[in-house]
Amino acid sequence: MSMEFLDGNTILYSAAFGLMLIGIGGIVISNHLMRIIFGIALLEAGANLLLLLSTYHEGASAPIIVDGIIPAMMADPVPQALVLTAIVIGVGILALALSLAIRVQRAYGTLDMREVRLRLEQEICDEAGIEMPSSSEKPAEVIKTPVNSVVQQESGS
Amino acid sequence: MNLLVLMIALPLLAAFLLSIIDRASSFAARVIGPLVLLATAAIGLSVWSQLGDAPQAVQWGGFQAPLGITLYADQFGLLFALAMTIGTLLLWPRSTGNQLRSSSLALLLAGTGSGLALSGDLFNIYVFYELMTVVSYGLIASRGTSGSFASTLRYLVISGFGAALALAGIALVYQATGTLNLAQLAQVAPEKLNNLQGFAAFVLMLVGFGVKAELFPVNMWVPEVYATASSRVSALLAGVVSKLALLIIMRLLILVFHQPEALTVLLVLGILGVATGELAAWRARDLNRMLAFSSIGQLGVMFIALSIPGNAGIFAALAVAVHHLFLKPAMFLLAARWGGSIRRLCGAAKTSPVAAGLFVLLSLSLIGVPPLPGFWAKLLVIMPLLTLDQPLYYFAVFIILAAASLEANYLFRVVMKLYDKQPTAVPHKAHATADLATAVFLGGGLIAAVFMLVPLADRLDSIAAQATDVSTYIQTVAPQSLEGDVQ
Amino acid sequence: MTALDNLLLISAVTLVIAVLAGNSRVGGWLVTIMYALQGAALMMMSGLGYSTLTMVQSSFSIEVLSQQLLWRFDALSWFFALITIGAGLFCSWFASGEWGEKYRDNGGSLRLFHGALALNVFSMLVLLASGDLLTLFIGWELVSWASFLIMALAGGKAFGYAMRYISYAFAGAMALLGGLLLIYAEVGSFDFQSLKEAVPTMSSATLWLLVVLLTAGFGVKMAILPFHLWQAKAYAETPGPGAAFLGAISSRMGLFAFIVVIVQLIGISRLVEMKIPFTFLDAQDLLAWIAVFTIIIPTYIALRQHDARRLLAWHGVGQTGYMLLGIVIANDLGSAGGLMHVFNYATYQAMLFMVVIAVIHRTGTSNLNKLGGLFTRMPLSYLAMLVGIIGLAGLPPMNGFVSKWLIYRSLIVDGSPLLFLGAVIGTLGTILSVYKLIHNIFLGQLRVEHVAVREAPLSMVIPMMLLAAVVFVTGYFPGLVLDWTSAVQASIGIPVLAHHLGGIDMKGGLDMIWIVSVLLVGFGFGTLVFFLGGRSKRVHQLDNYAGGHFLTAETRYHYSDNFYPGLMHLIGPWYRNSFEWLERGLISAVDTLSTAMQGLYRNAHPSYLLLAVVVFALSWVIV
Repeated sequence: MSMEFLDGNTILYSAAFGLMLIGIGGIVISNHLMRIIFGIALLEAGANLLLLLSTYHEGASAPIIVDGIIPAMMADPVPQALVLTAIVIGVGILALALSLAIRVQRAYGTLDMREVRLRLEQEICDEAGIEMPSSSEKPAEVIKTPVNSVVQQESGS
Repeated sequence: MNLLVLMIALPLLAAFLLSIIDRASSFAARVIGPLVLLATAAIGLSVWSQLGDAPQAVQWGGFQAPLGITLYADQFGLLFALAMTIGTLLLWPRSTGNQLRSSSLALLLAGTGSGLALSGDLFNIYVFYELMTVVSYGLIASRGTSGSFASTLRYLVISGFGAALALAGIALVYQATGTLNLAQLAQVAPEKLNNLQGFAAFVLMLVGFGVKAELFPVNMWVPEVYATASSRVSALLAGVVSKLALLIIMRLLILVFHQPEALTVLLVLGILGVATGELAAWRARDLNRMLAFSSIGQLGVMFIALSIPGNAGIFAALAVAVHHLFLKPAMFLLAARWGGSIRRLCGAAKTSPVAAGLFVLLSLSLIGVPPLPGFWAKLLVIMPLLTLDQPLYYFAVFIILAAASLEANYLFRVVMKLYDKQPTAVPHKAHATADLATAVFLGGGLIAAVFMLVPLADRLDSIAAQATDVSTYIQTVAPQSLEGDVQ
Repeated sequence: MTALDNLLLISAVTLVIAVLAGNSRVGGWLVTIMYALQGAALMMMSGLGYSTLTMVQSSFSIEVLSQQLLWRFDALSWFFALITIGAGLFCSWFASGEWGEKYRDNGGSLRLFHGALALNVFSMLVLLASGDLLTLFIGWELVSWASFLIMALAGGKAFGYAMRYISYAFAGAMALLGGLLLIYAEVGSFDFQSLKEAVPTMSSATLWLLVVLLTAGFGVKMAILPFHLWQAKAYAETPGPGAAFLGAISSRMGLFAFIVVIVQLIGISRLVEMKIPFTFLDAQDLLAWIAVFTIIIPTYIALRQHDARRLLAWHGVGQTGYMLLGIVIANDLGSAGGLMHVFNYATYQAMLFMVVIAVIHRTGTSNLNKLGGLFTRMPLSYLAMLVGIIGLAGLPPMNGFVSKWLIYRSLIVDGSPLLFLGAVIGTLGTILSVYKLIHNIFLGQLRVEHVAVREAPLSMVIPMMLLAAVVFVTGYFPGLVLDWTSAVQASIGIPVLAHHLGGIDMKGGLDMIWIVSVLLVGFGFGTLVFFLGGRSKRVHQLDNYAGGHFLTAETRYHYSDNFYPGLMHLIGPWYRNSFEWLERGLISAVDTLSTAMQGLYRNAHPSYLLLAVVVFALSWVIV
């Protein structure tokens, strides 16, 4: 059995996609806000790694031209710049998310996403002055007029 | 051509300086934001008037085309940059809490939005998109209620997810082509991206940027956010910001991705967006969420329009987008006072007859009653769809028409409530003058469009033609002569 | 400025005057005069109605999205415009006097009422003038929303019915738009002529789709089955003369568009070629049967109504069936009958509505169980209603007889005995229900509370009497109207009916002058005998006895409740409101879907992200 396919590139790509998948899994499966936020962080890390890998060459040198000598194999600077930016933005967003999570926790007393969703829905409905739409937990609204009386009422038409 | 740079830099600079200015004079801080936007809009207009038929490109940061930061201004991009600037000016957020923070955020939004519209490479598009997203989190949360925090957080989750996917898509593109400059991508795309990897990159970027454009599977944030954010912010997000995300997708579609499967994906997601949005709006019981759902439907129509190959699709999407650009903000402004339950609106026409009349006008245009502009926009979408003569396109037409009947139904249920003769127990508050004036201005624009239908259609057509002219794009950004004007 | 420009301009000015001066004391009269001016402008084009002129173009035309929008009048437009303006004139006249004052006193806005009426007339003229399929749609939408406006004026209950109308109408308009754009996709133009030329080469499947979409679109406005539910209630709740106007002409716009697109451009002969698989029927038969059921079902629904306005409005739905039937048969007799029925029906329907509104004006109710014996108090209104119901029932000597005769005759000539039978069953229902109408309002016992009732004011009686005169004269000399219908037939390419002033020249033809003269002589003779005989004696209505008891004011011997008990016992089980069920079912289905979609947006965060994961995983596989 040959192990050729397990070269460095493949491992790195697998790591990138794996990180992204774990991140997405975290967002999708867990209901805890902190885990969801960490899921986003992992997802971003994976995406950044993927971006770096897009022009990765093993053994390339830094793309710095010293004394006018251009190195033989230079790493592509563009993804690195982009990744740096993305990391900075990602950290900012992470901080924002955490601070929002604190606010939400203070307001609703929970970090469970389902609970937050219900409370949010409740708040929107209260503000608008409407009832919460019936959920699967509650029985459906009973039709007020039985069919027969409707027929009699409408029989004039 | 540093004017273009100013369009982006001026609002950003003002945003950062605002808190310093505030130390000196709080009055100056209050005035300076709108003034800067006014100046930016004036710059934009002057660039527009110089532009004519020849788009212009600016290389920024000291490097030539593929490496440097490219700004590209054609009428298409400039139109949206102007829409962003003027839209922010008209919908200037008036926070009850920290006005300074809201002002800075609004300026940032205008700056990043203009940057997004004018950027000529994927790198900057991503950066500006992310910045705009962060700014919009701030704007939504600036209302300060617990609901607004929660909805921002939920929005952030989807948005962060989308951004990562977009980044992955960019990585795939870069891996295949080795460049992120749109002009260069346009050159190499037919040979390097016309494959499954290109398609995967497109889907990832579509989903990623589609978060803001209220694309179907990633638009679950829309009803919550529009219901909890202040109405001016909702108007900005639904009216203007969503169009900018759409602009990116249009640019990518024109320049980079030419796969027929890409169009099918757009069509299917557009159909799903229209169907789910309009159906959900049918049962909405508060105006804000009704408008939010209907805006999902409208954006869905734009995606369907984009799925039409060639110039006709861009033209149609542009027409629907510009129509929506006028209409949705005006509706959200009216919803500022009428935001609650629709049942509470009984007899509101008595206290605010102008607003009620305007709501009728906007509803009529939204559902596409001739001779209002909405009808012509809808016509532009449907006409080419039917000539394509494929079952899925026929189905799209059916969905659009059925959705319009639903729209007519739910919007006029609201109108009926407005004109109901039995007023509710709670007296209605009249609209704030600034809100109403802005809404009337936007509505007036719609009426004016009826009378200028022919020149307007010609203008949009020429904008679309310019936008779809790929070879001019490549020529303008990377001129053949190598000794360019390195600044 | 062409004659058509003048007409449209005057109509627009009418609208402006109605909006500006509608609330003033003379506003209504001013508007009425403007309608008369519109009529005069129409008469400037009267050559259209007598085939001496084929077309009048409007000089106004614009090009949008590389489509040339045209407006023009031909014989068909002229004929319908005549009815429209006439209806507008009489209804506005009727509304200008006491009715308007009372309406204003009750908190109604006359400005809005006259404005809405003028808008209706204007938009209808724009629709009638449409010169291509796109302008047809624009006019169509204008008419739809204008009728919505006038229906919703009353507020309250009327809002609900108007809402139902606009839901139907807009869905229909969307079907229509789909059809028109399908034509555009096939033909490459919105031009009438191009469509006409392209029809022979179209595939049968495309044509079926077209016919279904267009008939659904037009049919909603005409309220043919199964789209009939909205009309009666919406019309009945429209304020006063507005109901008369809508009843007279509004839903006829659907017929107009049907004639233009299906009869004139696609052609009935093409419909005959479109067979329905596994049956003996073709598209024409299908339409004819829809028309027949549109006659029967709404007419028998009308029989059940207790509100005079609803009864009339349900008849409006049923009578549309006759018009459609005649036009779908499309031979010289049938189409002449169908077209003439449009005119005839407009005259007596407007008049009957006016009578009912006059009764409401005086007594405050249109409930057929709470009226009776008004003959002695409102004799002129009684006369108008008598003329009207004879016309509606299709009996000589009124004009309704002629058009129905033509339609029956065409069915026999065409060899469709079953359709004929259906039409006759419908007429039977009409006769029964109009008898209910006149009996319960004017005949029988005068109620105590109505003893002080007076005849309707002159502003109401004069339009009624004029319309009654029209109904009688065009029944006496049907050639007057047949001249116009012949011009229409010639312009839409149907064989022209040979006629003379009194009727039709053919074997077993019809000569109304002869028939009516004989009837008049007979009637005159009977009257002579009655009065010269001197055997009659006028008594008070309570100077009478029944079942061995003398009558008092408290005794009810005027049976209006439970009318036709025997008949109702027979046909009662057939009233099953199946269409109401259908409608409710449809609404429930949309409601369920809507709830599901809301649930999707509320609950489905994670699962949709999961969907995205699948997309993502796929992309990995691809790389």
